Amino acid sequence: MVTIDLSHTSITDANQQIRDWARDGQDVEIINPDARHNIGVGLVDPITVRIKGSAGYFCGGLSDGAHYEIEHNAGWAVGDNIYQGSVVVGGNAGAIAGVAIRGAEIVVRGNMGSRAGQVMKAGTLCCGGNAAFMAGYMMYGGRIIILGDAAEKVGQDMSAGEIFVGGKIKSLGNDTMIVDMEAHERDEIMEFLERYKLNYSGDFTKVINAGKKLRYANAEPRSRPQPFFVSSKSSNYWNPKVQEDIWIKGEVGRYRIRGYGASKPVPHLNDIAFARDVTTDAARPEELKDINLKTTVGGRFGAKPLSLSMPVMIAPMSFGALSRSVKIALARASRLSGISENTGEGGMLDEQRAEADQLIFQCLSGRLGWNVKDMQRADAIEIYISQGAKPGLGGQLMAKKVTPELAAIRGIPVGIDLRSPSRHPDVLGADDLVIKLQEFREATFHKVPIGIKMGAGRVNDDIKIAYKDGFDFVELDGLQGSTGAASTEVLENVGIPTLSGVQEAIDGLAEIDAGDDMDLVMMGGIKDGVDVVKMLALGASCTSVGTAAIIAGGCIACMQCHVGTCPVGIATQDPEHEARYDIDRQSMNMHRYFESLRWQIAAITKALGYDDVHKVNRGDLVALTPEAADITGLPFRPEHRDTRRPLTGLELLDRQAG
Amino acid sequence: MCGIAGVLYKQAGDHEIGRTLIEMLDGCQHRGPDSTGFALYGEDKDLLQLRFIVPTDAKARQDAIDGIATLLERHDATIESELSVGCSYQISVNFDGDLLAFTKDIEEHAKLVSVGHTLDIIKDDGTAHELDDIYHVGEVRGTHGIGHVRLATESAVRPEAAHPFWATGFEDIAIVHNGQITNYWKMRRRLERRGFTFHTDNDSELVAVYLADKLEQGETLDSVLETAIADLDGTFSFLVSTPNEIGYAKDNLAAKPMVLYETDDMIAIASEEVSLNRLFPGQSINSTEPAPGTYQTWSRSI
Repeated sequence: MVTIDLSHTSITDANQQIRDWARDGQDVEIINPDARHNIGVGLVDPITVRIKGSAGYFCGGLSDGAHYEIEHNAGWAVGDNIYQGSVVVGGNAGAIAGVAIRGAEIVVRGNMGSRAGQVMKAGTLCCGGNAAFMAGYMMYGGRIIILGDAAEKVGQDMSAGEIFVGGKIKSLGNDTMIVDMEAHERDEIMEFLERYKLNYSGDFTKVINAGKKLRYANAEPRSRPQPFFVSSKSSNYWNPKVQEDIWIKGEVGRYRIRGYGASKPVPHLNDIAFARDVTTDAARPEELKDINLKTTVGGRFGAKPLSLSMPVMIAPMSFGALSRSVKIALARASRLSGISENTGEGGMLDEQRAEADQLIFQCLSGRLGWNVKDMQRADAIEIYISQGAKPGLGGQLMAKKVTPELAAIRGIPVGIDLRSPSRHPDVLGADDLVIKLQEFREATFHKVPIGIKMGAGRVNDDIKIAYKDGFDFVELDGLQGSTGAASTEVLENVGIPTLSGVQEAIDGLAEIDAGDDMDLVMMGGIKDGVDVVKMLALGASCTSVGTAAIIAGGCIACMQCHVGTCPVGIATQDPEHEARYDIDRQSMNMHRYFESLRWQIAAITKALGYDDVHKVNRGDLVALTPEAADITGLPFRPEHRDTRRPLTGLELLDRQAG
Repeated sequence: MCGIAGVLYKQAGDHEIGRTLIEMLDGCQHRGPDSTGFALYGEDKDLLQLRFIVPTDAKARQDAIDGIATLLERHDATIESELSVGCSYQISVNFDGDLLAFTKDIEEHAKLVSVGHTLDIIKDDGTAHELDDIYHVGEVRGTHGIGHVRLATESAVRPEAAHPFWATGFEDIAIVHNGQITNYWKMRRRLERRGFTFHTDNDSELVAVYLADKLEQGETLDSVLETAIADLDGTFSFLVSTPNEIGYAKDNLAAKPMVLYETDDMIAIASEEVSLNRLFPGQSINSTEPAPGTYQTWSRSI
């Protein structure tokens, strides 16, 4: 037993020492913990950590295989996301004890706070005393045992799992019911209590999901594929698409769900032009090699930044929304082009990790597929707050896509219409986010850049919070950003355009004299190298492409993403459909598309008179419309519409080839 | 988005409330690095204590101070002592008129942040220790106080937007708040129709004014907190202090953290146990987390 004294050791140093001892199989005792946060976070070796006093937030969080004994109290989110292992709290635990656990045993001898076991997937959370309100909120599996009383809304919005309450239940949550307990369940509970020396001989009330809200009551009928670019072309209020929409709402009685992003016209990069004619100074391909496009993202606090061959990333898209084959193809294309791939929601695939040189691992509110081992093999971490397609709402994955394999990686029941939570269980404000960020840093040893993904809404405020909370980078997604499934009204109407987003971000950072050390990655409607250069000139440090990458990789925009019947094997989990996807061919198509971006970015940079794309600036741009001028503050130059129109991607390629 | 802390010693006397709150706020400074503030209750003074936020630029500062002098003359209030430090200008005045009318007029022309015979509110941009360097908060002694660290989310980083907030028109009352009041505009309009004026867009100011309004109608602190939980929507944990009491209220969703620890001698409340533990290093304390939708008050012996 080794002793670490927190009265004169920082948490980061202490956690490093614990990891070092753990590798040698040495148990550790922590003295003078004084309720400090993030004690023992990120352990993946099977040792015991004894905390002689009280622990703060996230004690034992993001770990796998370790055991923690906290002599006294624990703060919020004790045992966050533990896979295997255990935590025993001698006193009381704060809110969200056992949040997102995937198999751990969490025992709280005293009382536990609100929302215990929120989004837990497997394992046991046991409380010797009373549980505050919403125990088992949004749980997807596992077992909660409460020996005392349970307050209001037990099992609120749970999808699966069981809650056993020894004392009184003040009230049940939505869509739950009380059922009889089976004999073996009682035996198993008694064995568990015996093991942790908890005396109890009374009865239990068993609460489970009642199964009335796991699926939408009415499925959408299959409709004839209507290509997105046809349906969104018209600016009329009434067209066949609108008509169909109304018919279907008349049938299902709710909002409709679809993939892709906003289709209504909004001010965008097309409404901005280069201030000088970039067509007259076309460079020969060999000259473009000297133009620097290299971009790093996330070095603000000394973590190893992402090192990209050009200011382009692949946007976060989940295994779930997309098939395994597409995730592999994207990862491969990212490696071939020297850019980064992103897991999106729903976990990291081994093949994806193997194919991608640089992989961002995204953490969402439901913690679906989130775990410490994949965090520690990621090249960057990104905490998702919201996205441009549906700011403020969680993801939707319709039942057809929730296959046994996908359910296993996410830790959820098979075949439910999965509606991810809209909020993180442990981030209810910018203040909690500071502590969460610190937990991530501890779990990845301060070596991995940590960013935040946000949908563009109130960017001017949000970007300041991101900066002050200490993120290494922000990925900011405008209204035009796409998704695999969201309500159409939200897609079209919630959030602000990408152009407004980037401007608010730049203005917000300037207002607090933030400088440029926090990288700003812009996404939402980036389609070619021209857009990339304009975005960088406006002030972004990098861009991210999702829709464009998928189209390059074979998407025909037929709008079956949410249904899961994608005919080309992209947005589907159906093995028959996925078999149509040719990973080798499509990854090369995506790679060649990325190379076309590279060529355009370099050619325009050269034509603007620079040897480095990061030298482009606002002086290189003019606005073509009053709206774009108003949003960006760029000079309004309508005369550039005709005479100095920037080259489209194809024109530029033609010119280069000629 | 913030951290809050409060302490009350039950026995009358000369306790190190400034030092105690500095420790507690330093313990949760990670929750709010932008600004820090203290509401401290010392001995009951004969003179009315006023503290203003004034510009740091020398000329603008003198203009503001001259303006305050003119205002006071208008209300027959005479300055007995003054102290100009940091972002603030503190005075003791002789005044025995209608306080509500007096402060309402002053607030229209100057940034008044603290009014009372026992209360002093000290707040500024910076950390607890930075404020101590400027205002010597650690030297303040008394019976109780509340404090706050702030991370500005929707309103600007300015000293006057920092907490605590004085309950407009009602002397010796202060609040600190962590969270967000979602029916802010509805409640604000309702109070504005009752004649109250708002000086920031900060939802915490609303809490202060709301409480002042109810207290003015003669309600007890307990009953005011009870109705506050019903009337205010959103996520919040807030602390309120009067010359003899402190109390808390917590929203129905328990979305903002708060723990408390009580002994025979004192009560300490904070966003996180790490702040409470600062007062008892190396010890395990039997803290409790109040349930959602609850409130409680404590009084000092007089």
